[in-house]
Amino acid sequence: MNWLYDSVEPRVMDEDMLKLAVGEQGPRDEAGQLARQEGIVFKDVLSLRLDFQNILRIDSLWQFENLRKLQLDNNIIEKIEGLERLVHLVWLDLSFNNIEAIEGLDTLVNLEDLSLFNNRISKIDSLDALVKLQVLSLGNNEISHMMNIIYLRRFKDLRTLSLSGNPIAEEEDYKMFICAYLPDLVYLDFRRIDDHMKELAEIKHQYGIDELKQRENLSQAQLDDERAQREELEEHKAAFVERLNGSFLFDSMYAEDVEGNKLAHLPGVSELLQAYKDKFVIICLNIFEYGLKQQEMRKVELDTFNECVQEAIQENREQGKRRIAKFEEAHLLSLNAIRDESEVTNLEMKVAEHSKDITELFDMLMTLEMQLVEQLEETINTFERNIMDLVALFIENVQSLMAQCRDLENHHHEKLLEISINTLEKILKGELDENLPYDVRALFVDKDTIVNAVGTSHDLHLLKIDNREDELVTRTNSWCSHLVDAIHKDEIMRNRRRVKEIHQYVDHVQNELDNLECSEIID
Amino acid sequence: MEVLKEKVEEEEEAEREEAAVRAERGEKVVRPMEVRREEAPMTQEMLRDLERKLSDTEMAIPEKLSTFTKDTIAISKLPLSYQSNTLKEEHLLQVADSFSRQYSHLCPDRVPLFLHPLNECEVPKFVSTTIRPTLMPYPELYNWDSCAQFVSDFLSMVPLPDPLKPVVQEEEKVPPKKYAVKPPRDLTSRFQQEQETKKQEEIKAEEERRLREEEERLLDVEKAKTDPLHGLRVHSWVLVLSGKREVPESFFIDPFTAHSYSTQDDHFLGIESLWNHKNYWVNMQDCWNCCKDLVFDLGDPVRWEYLLLGTEKSHLSLTEEEEDGLNDDDDVENLGKEDEDKSFDMPPSWVEQIEISPEAFETRCPNGKKVIQYKRAKLEKWAPYLNSNGLVCRLTTYEDLECTKTLEIKEWFQNREDMLELKHIDKSTGLNVDYFKPGHPQALRVHSYKSMQPETDRIMEFYDRARVDGLVKREETSKTMTEYYRGRSDFLFYRHVSFGDRVKKLSLNSAESNPRPIVKITERFARNPEQPADEDVAERVFLISEERIQLRYHCRDDHITASKREFLRRSEVDNKGNKIVMTPDMCISFEVEPMEHTKKLLCQYEAMMKLKNEEKLSRHQAWESELEVLEILKLREEEEEEHRLTISIYDTKRNEKSKEYREAMERVMHEEHLRQVEAPLDYLAPFLAQLPPSEKMTRWQAMRVKDECLSDFKQRLIDKANLIQARFEKETQELQKKQQWYQENQVTLTVEDEDLYLSYCSQAMFRIRILEQRLNRHKELAPLKYLALEEKLYKDPRLVEFMKVFV
Repeated sequence: MNWLYDSVEPRVMDEDMLKLAVGEQGPRDEAGQLARQEGIVFKDVLSLRLDFQNILRIDSLWQFENLRKLQLDNNIIEKIEGLERLVHLVWLDLSFNNIEAIEGLDTLVNLEDLSLFNNRISKIDSLDALVKLQVLSLGNNEISHMMNIIYLRRFKDLRTLSLSGNPIAEEEDYKMFICAYLPDLVYLDFRRIDDHMKELAEIKHQYGIDELKQRENLSQAQLDDERAQREELEEHKAAFVERLNGSFLFDSMYAEDVEGNKLAHLPGVSELLQAYKDKFVIICLNIFEYGLKQQEMRKVELDTFNECVQEAIQENREQGKRRIAKFEEAHLLSLNAIRDESEVTNLEMKVAEHSKDITELFDMLMTLEMQLVEQLEETINTFERNIMDLVALFIENVQSLMAQCRDLENHHHEKLLEISINTLEKILKGELDENLPYDVRALFVDKDTIVNAVGTSHDLHLLKIDNREDELVTRTNSWCSHLVDAIHKDEIMRNRRRVKEIHQYVDHVQNELDNLECSEIID
Repeated sequence: MEVLKEKVEEEEEAEREEAAVRAERGEKVVRPMEVRREEAPMTQEMLRDLERKLSDTEMAIPEKLSTFTKDTIAISKLPLSYQSNTLKEEHLLQVADSFSRQYSHLCPDRVPLFLHPLNECEVPKFVSTTIRPTLMPYPELYNWDSCAQFVSDFLSMVPLPDPLKPVVQEEEKVPPKKYAVKPPRDLTSRFQQEQETKKQEEIKAEEERRLREEEERLLDVEKAKTDPLHGLRVHSWVLVLSGKREVPESFFIDPFTAHSYSTQDDHFLGIESLWNHKNYWVNMQDCWNCCKDLVFDLGDPVRWEYLLLGTEKSHLSLTEEEEDGLNDDDDVENLGKEDEDKSFDMPPSWVEQIEISPEAFETRCPNGKKVIQYKRAKLEKWAPYLNSNGLVCRLTTYEDLECTKTLEIKEWFQNREDMLELKHIDKSTGLNVDYFKPGHPQALRVHSYKSMQPETDRIMEFYDRARVDGLVKREETSKTMTEYYRGRSDFLFYRHVSFGDRVKKLSLNSAESNPRPIVKITERFARNPEQPADEDVAERVFLISEERIQLRYHCRDDHITASKREFLRRSEVDNKGNKIVMTPDMCISFEVEPMEHTKKLLCQYEAMMKLKNEEKLSRHQAWESELEVLEILKLREEEEEEHRLTISIYDTKRNEKSKEYREAMERVMHEEHLRQVEAPLDYLAPFLAQLPPSEKMTRWQAMRVKDECLSDFKQRLIDKANLIQARFEKETQELQKKQQWYQENQVTLTVEDEDLYLSYCSQAMFRIRILEQRLNRHKELAPLKYLALEEKLYKDPRLVEFMKVFV
């Protein structure tokens, strides 16, 4: 290709070139005539061929949003770029270019057939987004490492692969290796892989494959686990009680609490702490369970509501459809009658009659719609009240449970203070037997210090509890108001759409009548 | 209407235990044997019990004298048991007679019992012994309903000469070979009694009849004539008692119709007696309220007077609550029994085991045909393959009672190659409906028509899963054709084609090449979920004569209006003479969402081109449908003419191929067998086998073979003699030893030991004697045998030429 590169001037992909190509490849004959009259919008083009154009850089293709097939072969392209907008692309041909690395394909999720034949690619990667890939042509490149094959295992639909003309194709084990590691492959280098070959390859590379499979399974299982955990957390979050099914909140109380941790060294405090923790966790669990239960109730409420609303809408829609169908029959008949009518007075009478029918239809449809609006409004209001009540109840109960937590904390605080003061007295009296760490002992200088320390810890704990409670309450409330808003908004949108639709239809019918009248009068 | 005679069947153990008990009122039941023999010569035992009940009937058939004559049955060919009575049977008859006497004495106002009618050989036989439980190899006969159906088909009814009494000539009957001293006296008295009771019965019956008649007249004004013999007719039927085989409650089976009736049914006016193969019971209950109040607890001697004090009484106790009472009864009876010494077992049945050949089973009815006349209807049945068109059943219903004006005819077919199953002809509307089973070459399911002419009103339904195009139904009138589809990949489910008048062509083309012009094609499609509703066509109308195409799209989920589009196909020429390809007014459309679809001319042009193509296809389809109708009609006519029947490969009788094959196999087997017989044991084989194979025997070799054979035989004879001798000696020695031992211990022996010794001695002596005889015989025969062999060897074809030299 070098001779080409040297001798011919590279061309730029500009509007003219694209127009030319589109014009050439567009519809022919009568359709072409039409197309020329109207001009072709790039957006409508489904397939584009730009071969042998000496293109150096892919450009200006962003308008071809709906392109399905793009051929850019036999150019001098060095880098894959400018294809990000062509998300509908199914077939991409970039063969016979000077591409060195696979890149810029991350948005082409629909791609099924990719040809990069005769380029300078040395590594297969950056194809992760191409989940639908079926045909991959990478012949005449510079791929030299067998491990590139393993990368291809992720494409479950890959059936055809060509890699001949690469350094790896020279390797003795080349065919066997590919057959073994890509068992779903049907064609390799334009030849069908026979079953016998597949069996042989499988036996030969069994150990390698088993190991690989094991690894893949492990990582897959890990991914699954993670996903399951994430999903669970999401679910808990939706119930606003995430991380309350354990000692997480308690631990977070002590995470930043320097003094509290120090005081834990005092005699008797660790038992106290343990008892405190147990009780605290039980309350947390209560909140958690309650939260899930409430979430379930809210969901049921919402589902019921949605179902009822959908039913009402469907019912109304059926009525509307029936009316229209009925009208349409009559409409056709009267249009025909009007068309056949020659007497002017009769004609006018009929036209007037039909106009009246149209108005009637309009009124009827609008009445139906207004009826529905009223019905829905009432239902929505009821639902709103109920869901608000549910949320309020939930918040109230959670708050009372949180208050229990606070009580526990207060209780703990008092106990701790007592122990601390006792200890201080002992220390002052020099009666303390146990050895306290140095930094703990530093707290027991005088009464103020120790009281302050305990107080700080206490405040911190309360703060944490308050924060968690606030978070829960805020999120619950905002969820509720969002939900209600969304429902209202949806309903308004629905109503607007329907009204618009009715207007449109009635206008259309009226137009038909008017047109008829005009032509009639002209005649 | 019918008078009842009943037979009660206890526990229908399908055939086996189908013990039919019946009771008669009025007179006795016809002699069943003759009836049976006559119309179904292959009928056998299992039917017999049922059959014999058929005797009298409820049908008002002209009083033709029963046509059966005795000479139709080759009496001499019947087994001995048919022609005479065993001692036990004689005894039983006596018991029955005495029972009958007592009965008529105790109940003088009741009709005499039906106890021992004459059989086809004019021999009196007790009714219970005519029943022989038999197990048949046909699964159909294992359940009462299908079994009863078979019996009803198998029997044909012959009305009694006198509908009031079964044919019994008791007076004429002279029990053969009997020291008939007592009977004469009894006979007279019984006769008188009988006459008396008969008279009384007649009076009573007449009263009853009058009452009933009045009642019926009141109840049923519509019925023109009441049966004058109501309440007098006799009939036998089957009673199935509850208990065994999951029979929840007792019920009746009528043998002629195979219908089951509740014991509460009004048609059964009363029961005189019941019997099965074990016993005979007389009903002692009052039948004033038909059979409704009867209690079928045969173990209760107050309600059911038994003839034999059977052993099976305990198993007749049907419900547990009755058990206590029963036991008491048993005790009482047991006491009585000892006094009277009446215990007597039912003798084994004298009839032969019934045998139904598969042919007879399949033919079912006598001569394979049966006609049943109902009120305003006639049912005809044929055996499969009897009619060449596969007709097996025809039901004709009539408008009037005289059965002259046909209302409708239903014909059922079997084994038809065209899978025709039922043909329904409605005479009043002239509508024919043919029903097919799956498997018709055109997947036809139902075809309803008035005439086989094309382009007339008809409806064809198809097995849509068997058709490539998923056609379910095609309705035709003279001007339209409507097709319904199911499960098509293009979602088409309805196509309606309107035809115009056929244009008369000047050229004399045949009708086929001049199809009717199509005026309009309407096609409807189901929603294709993969396409947006606005692009998914719901209805497509090709107005061919107007050159217009109308499209209506599906409605969006939340909309009430649907998009519409109308194309004018007319190609026009502008004022310059150029052809106008497409103008905006050629496509009128209503878009639900106008902003979303700024359809350009090009798109519309393409859409129109596509529609034009599709219009062609649709027209072609319509044309093909017409052709198909013609084809089906032609095929149907051919099928009707040919009416070929299919034969299952398992049907070994009718399937020619398999028959040939089987016969060939049998032939081969037979030949094989013959060959084995022809080649008996070759006495030279072991010696010839020692010679080198495939070489001609030399004389020396032949001699050696002969000598060896002879010496071998001699040795065998000697061995045999030695063996017998050795045994003889052994026995003798043992006997001597025993005798010695006896002599020594004679004094101390107990009586038992001595007995033992004596019996041993006699046995040993016997054995010794036998051995001695054998030995002697062997000694006598051995030389003869040897000589015989030698002679045989000289004459053996393999050795004969070598021997000649010496002889």
